[in-house]
Amino acid sequence: METLSAASYQALYLLFSGDSALWTIIGISFSVSVRALIYAAPLAILTAFLLAYFSFPGRRLLVSIFNTALSIPAVVVGLTLYIMLSKAGPLGEWRLLFTQDAMILGQICLCFPLLVAMAHATLQSTDRRAWETALTLGASPVRALLTILHEARFGLIGALVAGFGRIIAEVGSSMMLGGNILNYTRNIPTAIALETSKGSFAEGIALGMVLLFMALFLNIALGQVQGKGAVSQ
Amino acid sequence: MSADTLRPWLKMQDLTFLRGDRTILKSVSLDIQPGELTLLTGQNGSGKTTLLRILAGLQKPQQVQFEFAGEQQKWRQSYRFLRDQICYLHQQPYLFDGSVSENIAYGLKRQRMGRQAIKAKVAEALEQISLEHLAQRNSRELSGGEKQRVAIARAWALAPRLMLLDEPVSNLDKRSRHICYDLINQLQQQKIGVIYTSHEPQAGHLKINRHLHLYEGEMTTKPLTNEKAAVVELVKGNPNQSRG
Repeated sequence: METLSAASYQALYLLFSGDSALWTIIGISFSVSVRALIYAAPLAILTAFLLAYFSFPGRRLLVSIFNTALSIPAVVVGLTLYIMLSKAGPLGEWRLLFTQDAMILGQICLCFPLLVAMAHATLQSTDRRAWETALTLGASPVRALLTILHEARFGLIGALVAGFGRIIAEVGSSMMLGGNILNYTRNIPTAIALETSKGSFAEGIALGMVLLFMALFLNIALGQVQGKGAVSQ
Repeated sequence: MSADTLRPWLKMQDLTFLRGDRTILKSVSLDIQPGELTLLTGQNGSGKTTLLRILAGLQKPQQVQFEFAGEQQKWRQSYRFLRDQICYLHQQPYLFDGSVSENIAYGLKRQRMGRQAIKAKVAEALEQISLEHLAQRNSRELSGGEKQRVAIARAWALAPRLMLLDEPVSNLDKRSRHICYDLINQLQQQKIGVIYTSHEPQAGHLKINRHLHLYEGEMTTKPLTNEKAAVVELVKGNPNQSRG
């Protein structure tokens, strides 16, 4: 117990003293995960929209595949991409292994099904009249799509937050694809794993606190946004 | 009456729509004159809404032939034109999340009008429905009657050739009904054609030009029973022509 409190005290000191090594890790973590989310979100939301609004052969199968993909462990995604990106793999020529780009690729694979599934559930529950009303008022299909996304924005923001939460805290894929290289691919979860294995708990706890604060902040922000949405319904 | 006014603005021929094995509309043909107020009746499930959605370019039928200004078009070429020229209002109209003004401005923005022109048009539309005081109110906070009026104003602002009103007063109280009837009569005065559906043969105080009836997917023309219609010149053409 004494060790825990001492480590926690030291963790707070590291955080608030602006420890550069610690903040570099935090910066890499956020940079990689935000970029992964930005790359994945547009296509995921478009896919969810097509699945929710249009009927085509294989639609149900696709929905089932995305729902199944939700439960794929991060380490399996990491392993699969590792094999593909390694020198002998089909994508070995890209020379992406142990780079931030490889981590981003892994995180895209992890958050894409979650984004599709959650956005699909949100868009499926939107009122179909919104789409038809937009079209009959002269909107192009693209403009009507943007209108639908605006109408469903609170649910979609929830999907983005959940997607971000999934990838910022995953360790398996980042460890395998990034290689945990200091100041380059070491992010919060891989650093926690490393520091814990070394018995250096303070840094691990400090990074864990960042994740907890971030989760708390995102949930409060989401609650606020969705609260406003509920008022305007 | 000139030959131009006699020529239908839009001709729809041989419309057939199936849902699964069930025939919803069977070889329906319809001529639409500019500024005409048509009452379309039929029981629930008779295909009224489906017909309106097809006319609005929102639902693709299995078979149809359109003719605009004497030129025949297939569905592929028609639906964009229909969406540009015709506004469809749901039975319970959908208002986007935002203020009443933003809702009315929605279609105007798509027409690439300037900001000042949009503002002026929105003000004019609000005046038309006597809801100027609700301009900044969120649309979700309106009553059913107010929503219906805003939806009519939103469509009116776009100056469509034809408005399709799907049982617009079915869920409204008496006062709101009268306000809506007045609005619809004003549309007619402004030469905006209206097709108004109802499952009841009465159409309140509307000045109907033509009464069509859908029964088991086939359309017939009915004699006008509304006495007020007597003051309105009857639309020309062979009354049997519109039989499907």
